[in-house]
Amino acid sequence: MITSEELEHLARLARIELSESDKKSLVKEFDSILGYVDQLKKVDVKMDVEGRVGAVRNAMRPDAVRSSSPEDRERLLDEAPDREGDFIAVKKIIAQD
Amino acid sequence: MKIDLQGLTIKKAHEHLKRGDFSSVDLTRAYLDRISEKNNDVNAYLEVFSDALDAAKAADKRFEDGTATPLSGIPCAIKDNLLVKDHVASAASKILEGYHATYYATATLRLAREGAVFLGRTNMDEFAMGASTENSAFGVTHNPRDLSRVPGGSSGGSAAAVAMDGALFALGSDTGGSIRQPASFCGVVGLKPTYGAVSRYGLMAMGSSLDQVGPIGRTVSDCEIVFDAIHGKDPKDGTTIDDSTYPARRIGKRKPVIGVPAEFLESTVSGMSKEVSIAFQSSLGYFKNHGYEVVDVRLPNVSYALPVYYIIVPAEVSANMARFDGVKYGLHVDGKDVIDDYFKTRRAGFGREVIRRVLLGTYVLSSGYYDAYYNRANAVRRMITDDFLKAFEAVDLVATPTTPGPAFKIGEKADDPLAMYLEDIFTVTADLTGMPAISIPCGTAEKEGKSLPLGLQLTARHGDEKTIFEVGKEFLGE
Repeated sequence: MITSEELEHLARLARIELSESDKKSLVKEFDSILGYVDQLKKVDVKMDVEGRVGAVRNAMRPDAVRSSSPEDRERLLDEAPDREGDFIAVKKIIAQD
Repeated sequence: MKIDLQGLTIKKAHEHLKRGDFSSVDLTRAYLDRISEKNNDVNAYLEVFSDALDAAKAADKRFEDGTATPLSGIPCAIKDNLLVKDHVASAASKILEGYHATYYATATLRLAREGAVFLGRTNMDEFAMGASTENSAFGVTHNPRDLSRVPGGSSGGSAAAVAMDGALFALGSDTGGSIRQPASFCGVVGLKPTYGAVSRYGLMAMGSSLDQVGPIGRTVSDCEIVFDAIHGKDPKDGTTIDDSTYPARRIGKRKPVIGVPAEFLESTVSGMSKEVSIAFQSSLGYFKNHGYEVVDVRLPNVSYALPVYYIIVPAEVSANMARFDGVKYGLHVDGKDVIDDYFKTRRAGFGREVIRRVLLGTYVLSSGYYDAYYNRANAVRRMITDDFLKAFEAVDLVATPTTPGPAFKIGEKADDPLAMYLEDIFTVTADLTGMPAISIPCGTAEKEGKSLPLGLQLTARHGDEKTIFEVGKEFLGE
């Protein structure tokens, strides 16, 4: 039902590297799961129904900036695998000429 | 006095602490001893917190100065996807390697303010995706009732911790049955509250339109005490509700009416085993003998609940897992450029079930398939909710078994994702509809000389945990 190429495309969108053996087993598992959920196609549904859970209500709050303590900022930055001063560091994405 | 952990409940422990029969430090030590005795075999805990005794000392002070509450000094276990400030929180995933929580989840903060003692963090299926705790990156948890079997999942460590007398209660999270199914397999009580009743702030998101935090305990009363402490509106979670969101609809003093979806239970899709059917019928017999009216209810679309669930959840998972990129926190695996860092980090950090669901979710949300899968699933979800709302015009509770069978063997379903998904057949409906549901022990199945616990599930109207507690307590003779 799903091809190895389609799977590769999905993995590219989801930013996950897949090996050939991953793809092989996933194709099989996708077939079994999609085959199972396909039974929904026979349900007579009104498609304009809005999907929601329980009572729907707005949760409003002022769009205000709140400052965080230097300690909190330091702790958050400390969780990053790589940092430079007060910044989270990543590899360069713009080439220099 | 010698502390008998086996017979202890939150209520009893609180009385003892108040009378000074033992201190919270004594009680915490007793649990720590029990954990070091049992955890090698069970693997319920991923980590025992080194500051548990400090929390116990602080709780003992509250008994001295008269500020103690029912949860002060009560030792408990926390599922590894709920944040406890300064402690490691990994959701049993390698991708969160080295991560320390920078803040408290609202649920854990409310417990901490009551003076509860956190013994440690419990094992789970990675990011709560699974029904056996076999998907943990840190080894499987064994069922304390039979070590060759799974404890259920995804909150398997939390249920096993309570069942092995390694905590008085535990917090879990439930997206498709992850509190109730392990509670059923381990012979304890587990409550999935109404969607929005307990704040998810600080809970690692899996399926955001379904996730809910709830207690696992020995008794219904214990779960009620914990629920009372953790539920309520939270400005940090816009989906939280308060007690007035859903009007109380049960009036007067009459006994609640119990509905049974007989047609669904008898169908071949439910795959219910003989032992489960016997235990369930005898539970219904109990209710009939105790003055409850037990009636048949029709839920015409309920057999579609599982396929709906396994479209909606992967879709939400694929969005929620996007934040794990090797940049902000956790694992980082170096690639040749920034994009390649993502590919390598996510491949190395995520387990098989997480990858499977992320890709499935990406598939069902992709252009051309969106209407066929995601939109259709949402429409059927609404039909299932309407079935339940209609049923609740005539009944106060809907009763089913929690699971189609008792705990299965470790490895039995590990290589067949679909067989594992079918475990959730009775539990997903409460998550899809947002209604509260509990699993309470209702008998055993004898397998290979071991007594394996079975669970009875009671689902109520939105916001009606009260009826669940009332009927559950009577059923267990509390």
